[in-house]
Amino acid sequence: MKVEITNKGLLSLIIDGGRVGRQKDGFCQSGPMDELAYKWANFLAFNMDNTPCLEVMGNISLQVTEACAIAATGRDVTLTVNGEHRPHYTTVLLNAFDEVSVGSATLGCKAYLAISGNWQVPDVVGSKSTVMREGLGGLNENGQPLQQGHVFEIKQNSLLNIERKRLRKLHHALRPKYNLEIPINVIPGYQIDRFSNVAQQLFVSSEYTVTSSIDRMGYRFNGPDIRSSIDTMRSEAVHLGAVQVPPDGQPIVMMRDRQTLGGYPKLGCVNPIDINRLAQAVPGEKIHFAFQNNEAARAQCLLATSRMRQLQGEML
Amino acid sequence: MKAFGDVKHIAYAGIDALILYFDGATLDEANHACIRWLTAIENGNKQFPSQWSWLIECVPSYDSLLIVFNYELIDSHGVYKALEGLQIESVHSSLEKGAQATIAKEDSSDTKLIPVWYGAPNASDLSVVSKQTGLSIDDIIEQHTSVIYRVYAVGFAPGFAYMGEIPTKLQCPRLGTPRKRVPKGAVAIADRQTAVYPSESPGGWNLLGLTPSDMVTHDVHGSTSRLTSGDKVRFVAISEEEFKAYNEG
Repeated sequence: MKVEITNKGLLSLIIDGGRVGRQKDGFCQSGPMDELAYKWANFLAFNMDNTPCLEVMGNISLQVTEACAIAATGRDVTLTVNGEHRPHYTTVLLNAFDEVSVGSATLGCKAYLAISGNWQVPDVVGSKSTVMREGLGGLNENGQPLQQGHVFEIKQNSLLNIERKRLRKLHHALRPKYNLEIPINVIPGYQIDRFSNVAQQLFVSSEYTVTSSIDRMGYRFNGPDIRSSIDTMRSEAVHLGAVQVPPDGQPIVMMRDRQTLGGYPKLGCVNPIDINRLAQAVPGEKIHFAFQNNEAARAQCLLATSRMRQLQGEML
Repeated sequence: MKAFGDVKHIAYAGIDALILYFDGATLDEANHACIRWLTAIENGNKQFPSQWSWLIECVPSYDSLLIVFNYELIDSHGVYKALEGLQIESVHSSLEKGAQATIAKEDSSDTKLIPVWYGAPNASDLSVVSKQTGLSIDDIIEQHTSVIYRVYAVGFAPGFAYMGEIPTKLQCPRLGTPRKRVPKGAVAIADRQTAVYPSESPGGWNLLGLTPSDMVTHDVHGSTSRLTSGDKVRFVAISEEEFKAYNEG
């Protein structure tokens, strides 16, 4: 079937799980900013993990030419079909030529729209993700976001017989939480020893404001200056969630489309679970950081992953 | 975590990565150690894939190597042990090979050549560099082509290779204000490094000329960076005519 974009919203990108193994050639990781919402969207739309979906800021509208299943997820996500409100975090069945509109009630948050089937979109460097910064991926393979009038194909699997499938729904209480009053956990690492105890304490005891300099590369925060004893260092690989501190002392958390190498000192990395919550923060919101022990963070991630699998198993 | 061998320091990079820092009297030595380890890990993964199934990717740089793993299959202690085991089993043998490679360095058969039209009108800071260094334009070209460079790292953008080290005589700082637009193929220097811009991008390095060869190639197998960490590279001066003929022949 065909999917036609009738309104592109503020910024709508085709995103999949991202690239693996190509950072050593300078290609960035890419992939979903809010991975948890992305994974749930695909599962609820009967898709395999790593299937592309739409990552949307603002409100996107589109039309599908065949019956299919969709699911919308994300922070404060809104979904309408032919102008009527429909539930999110739930399988929604569409008829041919239905008009879908997806967005977030909070401007700047990302909504994820999964559409059932096999996406016929270009694969570049092992991923179908659009990377604007590198000019890679997207419908024209030049990194361009979706535009009004863009049309792409998603092959529906006739064997799937979605009308007869059990619809999936994630209960309210189990949906990802975006509460920013809970601190963002950082696992100490990288050059942490080069930040004084005073600097480390200042980092975890202060309030930081999300600035308007937030994009798929990194999120900048405004708050007390954090200094390290490092003047210059050799560029090194920057992992997802790394908290880097440039000479101005204002921390930046490195996100999915970050450059692969960087030469600023880093305090450590944000716990992968908390990256999802942070990715949905919008300018002006306040956050706190906390240090978390590596083992505790890993245990938390393992539990969350097995809980997700269990929930998904119950819905099959 | 305790360091061992030519690993001088190991640090956490979140729950699913470790970064190793390498020892060496010079940057060249540290970078050689980094590439030896990268090669040993990649070989281990090729030979015993079941033992290395937790490995997601390795990202080398000047004197460091990030190792990303699947935290569901292993924790950082397990990775540490695997690396320590590798140290005993195979790095020593590749260390010897590394030493041989260093001896064979003068053998230029595996040096990659990059043709450059020095002073190409849209990519030339030659007069600025000449003022900074006191060298004539001919001397700048001679100096820049006189060295077999080593690729220390690939990053910043796809296919962007940081190479070093340029002769001290040629050393000059980054531009005060970065350019908004550096053309694709621009050959540039900054501090003691040189690089080629693989695609049009902003940049603050001093431009010497243009290369007609592509730094990222796209074919049926996907996109590949022409240069990878550890490669040896030499620049060769070509004329405007040769530059223009390059992609026609």
